[in-house]
Amino acid sequence: MIEVENVSKTYGRMGRRTRALDGVRLRVARGETLGLIGPNGAGKTTLLSCMLGFLRPDSGTISIDGRAVDDLWIRSRTGYMPERLGFDRDLTGEAFLAHHWRLSGGSPSKTAEETAAAASRVGLEGAVLGKKLKTYSRGMLQRIGVAQATLGSPDLLFLDEPASGTDPLGVAIVRDRILEAKARGATVVLNSHQLTEVERVCDRVVFIDHGKLSRDETLRGETATRKRGVLRVPAGRSEDARTILAAAGVEARASGDGALRLSDGSEDGISRAVKALAVADVPVLEVRATAELEELFREAPPS
Amino acid sequence: MIEMVRRFLRQKFDNPIVAVALAVMALLIAFPAAFSGQPSPNSGFLALLLLGAGSVSRDVSSGALQMILARPISRTDYLWGRFFGILSAFALFLAGVAVLMVVFSAAVLPVLHVLHAPLQWPALARSFAAAFLDGVLVAAVLLFFSTFLPGWGDVLGYFLLMLFLSAVPSIGAGLGKEWLTRLGLTLKQNVLPEPNFGAIFSGERRISEAVGQWALAITVFLLAAALVFRRREFAYGHD
Repeated sequence: MIEVENVSKTYGRMGRRTRALDGVRLRVARGETLGLIGPNGAGKTTLLSCMLGFLRPDSGTISIDGRAVDDLWIRSRTGYMPERLGFDRDLTGEAFLAHHWRLSGGSPSKTAEETAAAASRVGLEGAVLGKKLKTYSRGMLQRIGVAQATLGSPDLLFLDEPASGTDPLGVAIVRDRILEAKARGATVVLNSHQLTEVERVCDRVVFIDHGKLSRDETLRGETATRKRGVLRVPAGRSEDARTILAAAGVEARASGDGALRLSDGSEDGISRAVKALAVADVPVLEVRATAELEELFREAPPS
Repeated sequence: MIEMVRRFLRQKFDNPIVAVALAVMALLIAFPAAFSGQPSPNSGFLALLLLGAGSVSRDVSSGALQMILARPISRTDYLWGRFFGILSAFALFLAGVAVLMVVFSAAVLPVLHVLHAPLQWPALARSFAAAFLDGVLVAAVLLFFSTFLPGWGDVLGYFLLMLFLSAVPSIGAGLGKEWLTRLGLTLKQNVLPEPNFGAIFSGERRISEAVGQWALAITVFLLAAALVFRRREFAYGHD
């Protein structure tokens, strides 16, 4: 479990001090996938840096499974991918992965096997691995960054904008790797602006603004606090549909493109809405339950 | 640690600019030395500066350090890796110069019918061993400055330190202040001592106080580097 207790961090010197984190309290359960969301400059990367031991909080503590964040045993179980992959650009992709495999304490006899498997999982194979990193595109660098982070199947995964700059296939590959880590019980902390992806993989999201944790929403399971039902009907029928739903006791908000956002995202709520529309002969083109993080992002944080 | 040393060597020798510069320096040392039969004193000092420059600061600015420190490597181990990396690279450079000297002396100069002194192997070994040991202190100083100065600030720091330590006794002498001269000399002898290893190895001198000061200075610079580096924070990216 990752425990962040009342952590504050300030940058700068007297007169020009910026409070990057302000009394942050957070617990990430073992096996949980947590998304950090918030505007640029909110403190997300600072929080991630404190969790990894690159920065030291001015006050408060962070521990992982009861140990200090820079404990070498914790690090031997950690995978990390920075937003900007800064490394020796003269290295080949293969040498880069082999170097990280050895640094992580991996068995030398398994280097070739493990690095090839990690590269293959992100769609990098064959001649590409023999090329120097300086010839890689942004998307390829992101992929090899994810490959090095997931080397040796770590129990803790810290990912900072892992899919930034990648093509749709790259986004899907990153998502699959996160879901794979999640399936084997790894704890994942994901900092990303790609809200759709965050919603697809995370169990919980915390919203950080001006260094404070302003919202904490559970996205999955019985205790999910953030779930909306979205129905799509033909654009010209959305007002009719809204009236029909209101008559059936289902609160909905219509938008111009035929989408109806239900305030109740439970299976029962969505099912009642679909049934009411079907009885009234209104075609339902799409049905989904979503956390609508974009909406959360736009909302002013509650006081 | 071995992995960190290996990485250091790859970083330096895989870089075409550094590799070419080192090759030119090796030729400039080896060719004249092949004539005289032994290398000049301070062989490879510039090469050492090139090899040691930015040893930590480059990793900090590129963001590579954060990726390394997320692995089970302590900050102290990382520093040791950089220090032994500099020393290994310097040893390889000196070995390369020795090989070039042999090639020039045995193959190139005889073919060109150029008169030259035969290689004096004992003198050659003594000279390279002395250059290497002198380099250990320089590497420790560069490493110390690199833990908190950006870019090539470590090389600048080394020269400013040398300048300062040389200037104080001269200023003392100029002002007629004997205490200042003595203070300057004491500082120089203790902070950047220069034991004459060449003379010690040839038996002209005994192991003296200067060797102890040299060992102490290395220890102090390395401890200071570890202390500074353990306390440093490494921000990256943007929130």
